[in-house]
Amino acid sequence: MFKSNRSRRLAADILTYVVLCTLAAFCLGPMVWMFLTSLKPEADIVTSQMQYIPTHITFENYVAIWTQSNFPVLITNSLIVTTVTVAICVVTGTLAAYAFSRLVFRGRNNIMLGYLLIRMFPAVMMIIPLYVMMRTVGLVDSRFGLALAYTSFLLPLFVWMLKGFFDAAPKELESAARIDGSTRLGAMVRIVLPLARNGLVASSVFIAIAAWNEFIFALMLTTGQGSRTWPVGLQLMVGEFQLPWGVLAAGGILSILPVMLLFAVVQRAMVQGLTAGAIKG
Amino acid sequence: MATLSLKDVRKSYGSVQVLHGIDIELEDGGFLVLLGPSGCGKSTLLNIIAGLDETSSGDIVIGGRSVSNLPPKDRNIAMVFQSYALYPTMSVERNIGFGLEMRGTSVDRRREAVARAADMLQVTHLLDRKPANLSGGQRQRVAMGRAIVRDPDLFLFDEPLSNLDAKLRVEMRTEIKRLHERLGTSIVYVTHDQIEAMTLATKVAVMKGGYIQQLADPRTIYERPANMFVAGFIGSPAMNFLRGRLGRGKSGWQFMAKDICLNLGRSKEKLEEQEVILGVRPEEFKVVHHDIAAAFHGKIDVVEPTGPDTMLTSLIGGQSVIARVGPRFAGRYGDDVSFTVDPTSVNLFDPQTKLRITW
Repeated sequence: MFKSNRSRRLAADILTYVVLCTLAAFCLGPMVWMFLTSLKPEADIVTSQMQYIPTHITFENYVAIWTQSNFPVLITNSLIVTTVTVAICVVTGTLAAYAFSRLVFRGRNNIMLGYLLIRMFPAVMMIIPLYVMMRTVGLVDSRFGLALAYTSFLLPLFVWMLKGFFDAAPKELESAARIDGSTRLGAMVRIVLPLARNGLVASSVFIAIAAWNEFIFALMLTTGQGSRTWPVGLQLMVGEFQLPWGVLAAGGILSILPVMLLFAVVQRAMVQGLTAGAIKG
Repeated sequence: MATLSLKDVRKSYGSVQVLHGIDIELEDGGFLVLLGPSGCGKSTLLNIIAGLDETSSGDIVIGGRSVSNLPPKDRNIAMVFQSYALYPTMSVERNIGFGLEMRGTSVDRRREAVARAADMLQVTHLLDRKPANLSGGQRQRVAMGRAIVRDPDLFLFDEPLSNLDAKLRVEMRTEIKRLHERLGTSIVYVTHDQIEAMTLATKVAVMKGGYIQQLADPRTIYERPANMFVAGFIGSPAMNFLRGRLGRGKSGWQFMAKDICLNLGRSKEKLEEQEVILGVRPEEFKVVHHDIAAAFHGKIDVVEPTGPDTMLTSLIGGQSVIARVGPRFAGRYGDDVSFTVDPTSVNLFDPQTKLRITW
């Protein structure tokens, strides 16, 4: 009886690990493959025999994409668009989320519901009207215009996320601050924001990653070099008759570096933000 | 230091009216306790005085200055919250000094004021800590320090002791009373604990359903409650209510019920013969041994010694009565028992209106 119990538990453990490893392989496999490919010379990539581990490691792909294409411009554009998107979201979204969390006004719940509803429409449906609007106001093919477009679908998400963090901060703290001499806005900035800091970081990183990786809006709303972002740029490197695998892989690796760096820096705050309320009663 | 007056303060949320014309005058240096069960509107009233909530109509005057349209920061008040509401990201020192910081007091004067407040509340050794590293009692002291450091016109306390354990609660109650005596600042204090109300207040407003049931000093509230709600809410065990009839006897008015005949003393001309409810505090019953002159005759139901007293539940003519008798009371279940009561200590209530009959 005892033995069969133990062996059953062992079997369950093995099964668990098999499932987890399979999932991990599916998640990490493409990344690893991309990384390995980026280190191979072009001749070693397309071969008759599958070659997993590069036989001789080269950085020529990285040099090529950085010097012989407009990749630096693409990355810069992406950085600018992402930064502007995050900036708009943080400023307006924080104020909005605070208002939704603390003030009672007519239509509050309906507006929040509306924000959720917007997320349910496929992005493709919104692109054409958005394109027409952007063209009317002359914001097509501009980095600011693209950031505005991103804001239009990321801001509702940001407000929803942040409202949850604000709701978790005790209201009495602001009451205390208001009696101590703060204005309502002052109480928010001095008392509530430091408390919701982790949530703010987590929500901002979420927005930043979404904006950084966005493809369809960028493809539709940018036409020239001046505002094109890296996902579109990489896509356009795929020609009809040639497919520069190595260079594309190097571009991919370079593009996820900023995201990884961002994660490394804010990782602690973000994990705390995402689990806030889970452990504190 | 300042007086406080509330003039016909009303508050509604939508169509629900939660405060119905509250009128209160508090003298300079007074200690007003807003007492009532939860949902009676006492916290709403406190928030309105603080300016955290707006009145629907009526006026609030602090120190002769109408503050109804001022934001909380301009009312020169300080508040201690039930949850203490210490700023978790700031040290104790900065927590206490935050109000001064907001008002632009210089760093030196701020440090001095914080040191004085911390000294008064014995939290000087905690100044560098964060609120998370304090015990409940320490947090309470810091919250009070934050209130006194600014030397406001009026202190507001919102159930400040309800999160503390029983022993600490008694300690902090004494501390608050000492603080009030030393500082002499007017205080408005919300609680549902009648002991706090009795011990601290110079004036108690008993509230229920958004109305003030009675506004008086604690002694009057206890001895001459305005109605049966106040009588039943204050005191533990609660006042005994006995149904009976008021009649004229040989030696003046009498309260009569089965096994009860209490002479109320000299003829009280204002009374009339009617059904009444007699209110008697448990401690007013005196046990007498088979005295014919005894007013109450019954049988012992339950004997509960508490240490300093014994709570004696008896059945008198089918009505249950709790008496607080001496610790050495030696009766048992089923024994006969007789009581007398000082007629000046009892209250009579009208069974219909529930109001006290004055006589």
